[in-house]
Amino acid sequence: MPRADGPSLLIVDDEAHILSALRRTLRREGYEIVTAESVREALQVLEERPVDGILSDHKMPHMNGDEFLALAAERRPDAVRMLITGWTEEIPPGRLEELGICALITKPWDDTRLKATLRRALSG
Amino acid sequence: MSRSKPGVHVVVFEPATGGCGASRLLGGLGAEARIEVLSDVSAAAAAGRAPGVDLVVTDVAVEAGASRLLDELRPDGPPVVITGSELGTEAALDWFRRGAADCVSLAGRGSEALAVVVLEQVRRWRAVRERGASERRIRDLERFNEDVIRNMNSAVLVMDPEGCVSACNASAAQILGRSEADLTGRQVDDWFRDESGEGIVARSLATGARFRGAETLITRPDRTVVPIGISCAPITAADGSLRGAVATFQDLSEIRLLQRQVLQTEKLASIGQLSAGVAHEINNPTGFIHANLYQMSEYVGDLRRVWTLVEQLQKCVDQGEREDLRRTSQELASLAEEVDVDFLLGDLAKAIRESQEGAERIRHIVHDLRDFSHPDTGERVLADVNQCLDSTATIVWPMMKHLVRLEKEYRDLPAVPCFPTQIKQVFTNLMVNAYQSIEEKVGSEGEIGRIQLDTSRRGDCVVVSVSDSGVGIEPSRVDRIFDPFFTTKKVGAGTGLGLSTCFSIVQRHGGTIEVESTPGEGATFRVVLPLDECGDAES
Repeated sequence: MPRADGPSLLIVDDEAHILSALRRTLRREGYEIVTAESVREALQVLEERPVDGILSDHKMPHMNGDEFLALAAERRPDAVRMLITGWTEEIPPGRLEELGICALITKPWDDTRLKATLRRALSG
Repeated sequence: MSRSKPGVHVVVFEPATGGCGASRLLGGLGAEARIEVLSDVSAAAAAGRAPGVDLVVTDVAVEAGASRLLDELRPDGPPVVITGSELGTEAALDWFRRGAADCVSLAGRGSEALAVVVLEQVRRWRAVRERGASERRIRDLERFNEDVIRNMNSAVLVMDPEGCVSACNASAAQILGRSEADLTGRQVDDWFRDESGEGIVARSLATGARFRGAETLITRPDRTVVPIGISCAPITAADGSLRGAVATFQDLSEIRLLQRQVLQTEKLASIGQLSAGVAHEINNPTGFIHANLYQMSEYVGDLRRVWTLVEQLQKCVDQGEREDLRRTSQELASLAEEVDVDFLLGDLAKAIRESQEGAERIRHIVHDLRDFSHPDTGERVLADVNQCLDSTATIVWPMMKHLVRLEKEYRDLPAVPCFPTQIKQVFTNLMVNAYQSIEEKVGSEGEIGRIQLDTSRRGDCVVVSVSDSGVGIEPSRVDRIFDPFFTTKKVGAGTGLGLSTCFSIVQRHGGTIEVESTPGEGATFRVVLPLDECGDAES
């Protein structure tokens, strides 16, 4: 049985199958994974509990990932914030720095690299 | 004798003294006659050439002067009448030979004849002048007509009442691929026929009716085919009788080419817009299928380890060594716990199911994309409009799914003769417009708009309607929305050709587009397509 006593990670994506694939990928990484299928749901989670990291899709209904992460930063300033998107060029230049987003991951993701990026981001 | 208006203007040359007194005699012509008396020959010649001068009368008392006047005013100046106190027949004949219009001897009763001679000469001269002027006017008009016809960019053919070419211009010759000489006298209705095959010019000649903007194809002697737009009108003589007909026409090849280019540009513009959405739509399933495959291969690795122990266990059972059996069984139990076999089997099935679903989504969108971009054959085909609408919706949907709820209500429809790619282009433009209108309305307030697609049958037509809950259209703009380059979108967001392209495509199919809108609440566009094949056959 995989351990789940590591850092907590909130994953946000409007595509349920992406959430379940990411869960699979990270199964043995020891994170306590919480998922949300919408920005609204994700903000709800953040109201209720702290998390160590947030990994958010960019293109979502109602609100893009960068906007969501800006709101998330207001609620949980200590959480490490990361974006995952199919089109990195859709993020305006300078936006990541501006919002203090520490990683930008491309979809489809490379499992080994994704794991390494998350480990690095959540180790501190 | 008819007195011409205005009053006569006579120049009289006579010596200051010692002349025969012609000027005095002409005083009797009345107050409205202008008698200009000059004793200097150069001044008299100049005065005689002035416009409006009707006659020059010269006294032979200064013979050299009279001769010089005659020389200077002949042949195209006003007539010159010679007067003298005693003019013999010989002298008179001599003056006639030298170009005098008349000779009057003022001796005796001759003085009474002078006024009559002067008036008669004036009348004749004026008649000559008028005839000359009208001849010049006619020549000018002929020249003008010729120049207009020759230099016109449109091709012009003038036909006689029998429909044979009586005049044409170079543009006509060029379009018809024959020389101007070859065209003249030919019967034209071999060339200009409308869709029903009826001769366009013959009809104008028979009915006296104008015919405007017909399109037809012309086959040149070299077998090349040119699309032309032709207008024809009868021409009548001053008495109202039919004189023939005039046809003007243009080569539409270039316009057709431009139309096709516009269509292609518009199509590319929408494909550009759509491809980002489609790519997103393909990318998501690709992402999770990719990740799932990676995990599934790890799962298989774990299950193989379990199976290896199972095989080992089986061997132990066969060999009956209890110690080994117990040990292997414990190993198997702890491995099963480590790899979480229950979870693995359950999740493996789930990963396969989800990946299959993703692959199906990709297959579906690629199928519709191929269907969507498939070029028309150039001929109408019988197509299922519901399917055209639905495959278009599949392609357009991804770009808008974050903002729009899509509702569909398709009714059974008969097949419609159409160019499916063009019809899908119309649906695409309408849906993209609907989406942009919703986008403008809901912005980022977290609301969702609605697009409704309906199909139904109305008499001999099918009706496809695209309704949205967007910003709607101001009544003042409704009349302009189908104009080319009219756009209310932000700079760069629209070409202004979308709806005008829709309009021309639907028109080409013999159909219509209806629009209904309440500003602030949304708009409905209805595409009405006839079930019988009519409209322009050109793709």
